[in-house]
Amino acid sequence: MLAFIIRRLASTVLVMALVGVFIFLLLHLSPGDAAAIIAGDNATGEQIASIRKSLGLDDPLHVQFWRWAARVLVGDLGISIFSNVPVATLIGQRIWPTLSLSFTTIVLAVTLAVGAGVLAAWKAGSWIDRVVMILSVVSFSVPVFVVGYVLIYVFAITLRWLPVQGYTPIAEGLWPWARHLVLPSVALGLAYVALIARITRTAMLDVLAEDYMRTARAKGVATGPMLFKHALKSAGVPIVTVIGIGIALLIGGVVITETVFNIPGIGRLVVDAIAKRDYPIIQGVILLFSGVYVIVNLLVDLSYSLLDPRIRY
Amino acid sequence: MTKRAASSRRTFLKTGLAATAAVAAPGRLTAQTTPAAAKTVRAVMHGDLTVLDPIWTTANMSAYHGAMLYDTLFGIDGNLETKPQMVSKWGLSDDKKTWTFELRDGLKFTDGTALTSDDVIASLRRWAARDGAGQHMMQRVSEIAKKDDRTLAFILKEPYGYLVDALGKTSTPVCYIMRKKEAETNPMEKITAYVGSGPFTFNETETKQGARYVYDRNPNYVPRAEPASGLAGGKIAKVDRVIFENMADSQTALAALQAGEIDFYETPPIDLIGQLEGDKNLTLEVMNKTGNIGWLRMNFLHPPFNNVDARRAMLYLLNQEDFMKASFGNAKYYNKCSSNFGCGVPMQNDANIGWFKEAPNPAKAKELLQKAGYKGEPILLMQATNIDFMRNSADLVAGALRAIGVNVQVAASDWGGVVNRRAVKAAPDQGGWNLFITWADGNAVSNPIALAGHAATGEKAWFGWPSDAKNEELRDKWAVAGSLAEKQAIARELQDNAWNFVPHVWLGQWVAPTARRKNLTGMLAVPGVIPFWNVAKT
Repeated sequence: MLAFIIRRLASTVLVMALVGVFIFLLLHLSPGDAAAIIAGDNATGEQIASIRKSLGLDDPLHVQFWRWAARVLVGDLGISIFSNVPVATLIGQRIWPTLSLSFTTIVLAVTLAVGAGVLAAWKAGSWIDRVVMILSVVSFSVPVFVVGYVLIYVFAITLRWLPVQGYTPIAEGLWPWARHLVLPSVALGLAYVALIARITRTAMLDVLAEDYMRTARAKGVATGPMLFKHALKSAGVPIVTVIGIGIALLIGGVVITETVFNIPGIGRLVVDAIAKRDYPIIQGVILLFSGVYVIVNLLVDLSYSLLDPRIRY
Repeated sequence: MTKRAASSRRTFLKTGLAATAAVAAPGRLTAQTTPAAAKTVRAVMHGDLTVLDPIWTTANMSAYHGAMLYDTLFGIDGNLETKPQMVSKWGLSDDKKTWTFELRDGLKFTDGTALTSDDVIASLRRWAARDGAGQHMMQRVSEIAKKDDRTLAFILKEPYGYLVDALGKTSTPVCYIMRKKEAETNPMEKITAYVGSGPFTFNETETKQGARYVYDRNPNYVPRAEPASGLAGGKIAKVDRVIFENMADSQTALAALQAGEIDFYETPPIDLIGQLEGDKNLTLEVMNKTGNIGWLRMNFLHPPFNNVDARRAMLYLLNQEDFMKASFGNAKYYNKCSSNFGCGVPMQNDANIGWFKEAPNPAKAKELLQKAGYKGEPILLMQATNIDFMRNSADLVAGALRAIGVNVQVAASDWGGVVNRRAVKAAPDQGGWNLFITWADGNAVSNPIALAGHAATGEKAWFGWPSDAKNEELRDKWAVAGSLAEKQAIARELQDNAWNFVPHVWLGQWVAPTARRKNLTGMLAVPGVIPFWNVAKT
């Protein structure tokens, strides 16, 4: 197991290095750079050239790459071209809203989806099963921004129950923090509820058809323990896998949700940086995302052995 | 339960409570020092404030930031007339070659230090190094001399009537006065400390770069006695705090305005104005009456637009109404404009606008292109697909050109890509271009010196690099002119000449209403900047 973890962590470094090279080349070989954007529309070509020089953007590509890579190797993600603030500081400022949104979304999605999926499997073929599956299809099909705008219109503008936008740190109170996250979490979580519910239902149907479940029923095991203690644990591997994939996919959803609900998180940070060609921020955040992606996958793989003792690394 | 277990639990609870208090403390401290909502204005402006140095960039958001922190020697009022701001007395020598300015008494930076002529001179030098009008001015300045701590003099090589207007203009970069310490920063590098003498201070602690920018009332600001008007008069801050919220999504900003979470939204999308007009809690108002002018730049360096007939063809080909309708729809907010200085401004005139009365005339445009020797070579039109007006307009230009048999190649990218490529002087098939679309602030367009695009200095000019000696001679003459009537007469000559050599083609003029909650009063209408002094929340 330890060897497996070390091997996977080593591969994380390799993946992040490859992502770093790829993203650097992708950004620097695509048209446009920060100098022209900084200079503004009224600037002349000479002014843009002087800004480009002062930022070192006119240096050969390999020089720029090694300058950046050397800093990253010592844990320095660089400094934002526009704000002069270290990228690590900006990420530090923005990470909590994103973690908060991701956490509440995952909790909401897993709680609702696993319950709904188990219920649908248990009542397979009934109206409950059909309703759960129809809602899953609808939730998975509607884009997050559409759900977001509808929720804002109904719950923030019409009913005035919740705020339209923004984020309040948990340090300012649990309720102010939570009330700003309700609508974004629901908007972002619906698609994951649908995805996880469908997989849970399918996995549970397979398990419930097994002989040992029939035996459990014949022995008079109560429905609750039978479903959640015995069946759900056996169906756990595909469910955990899809939750892991969901967490990775969440990165894309967070970008849109943070824009729609004006949450100052990592997603907004990277979108704004892309529009401005603020290379150090884009590179730093993509590196972070790639690291999170690999580590989530590692945790998912490790959880398999907890759910299924036959799996050993 | 053992005593040890009970003690352990109590310790745990105490530790937990202490930790909770520690986590919550910053929030509570913030709450104690945060001004009341009634004294705080939350505003969503047209974009993010990416650069905090208003001299280093021409971005309008940086000029807005500058107007909060810094003051100017002169400022334009609500009638677009230049009025003294930091200056108390000023005079021009009999030979019109020495301007003397005396600063108002009691001017101070927010760090408590007195503002002196040294700060002003250093600020002027840095601004002039970055600004087109400043450079035009400095070519005629032999020295900016310090007379005493409150008095300075511009000693000129020749009379220069535009000097005061240049110091008070709102086209970017605006001539903001900083501390000497920051003003001595290399003009090609950004300043890193933001200390001004304006009506607000920059609260760096509460500011979250990319999310919100916080300004607090400067309690030590010394306003002028006159009533506030534009960027002139008494800049009295009537609220304790102004927050620029960076909200990328326009629907969210509108919803936040309707829900009362923000007080002001600078640029609600025109297609959603109808939705706002019906909201009894909101007021719509055009703050920048001169609006914006859309324009098509043609590359003078390469065929076919190195030939004046090809450029004239574009004047006859395009119908401004199409461009305005495609992007703005509601005729209440746009107009066609034939004046080279925009419409609704003192320099507007009707010299040499025969083309305007005739356009669109595709047959004549085709004839002129043939006369220019065009034989079906590809014409490269850059299109910024992430900006509605630019995307729509490029489609219309391409369609109009194709309709008369022109071989148009549209190079689509985001605005950043266009901005980069437009600086390339090489031929279109080697990374250059023939046409691109942008817009300019109406107030800047109204001024032959302030708008870089009015210069026709060849390869030193703004992108497109137009060249015309008569244009430059007339611009210099305009800058020296004293009276408004004299300037208007020269502007007429400039326009007559411009529509002969065709430096650009206008695509129409539009204004954009701002939206605000009805309880926000005292907003000042002025082009180029949105002032937040004089604004009260009732």
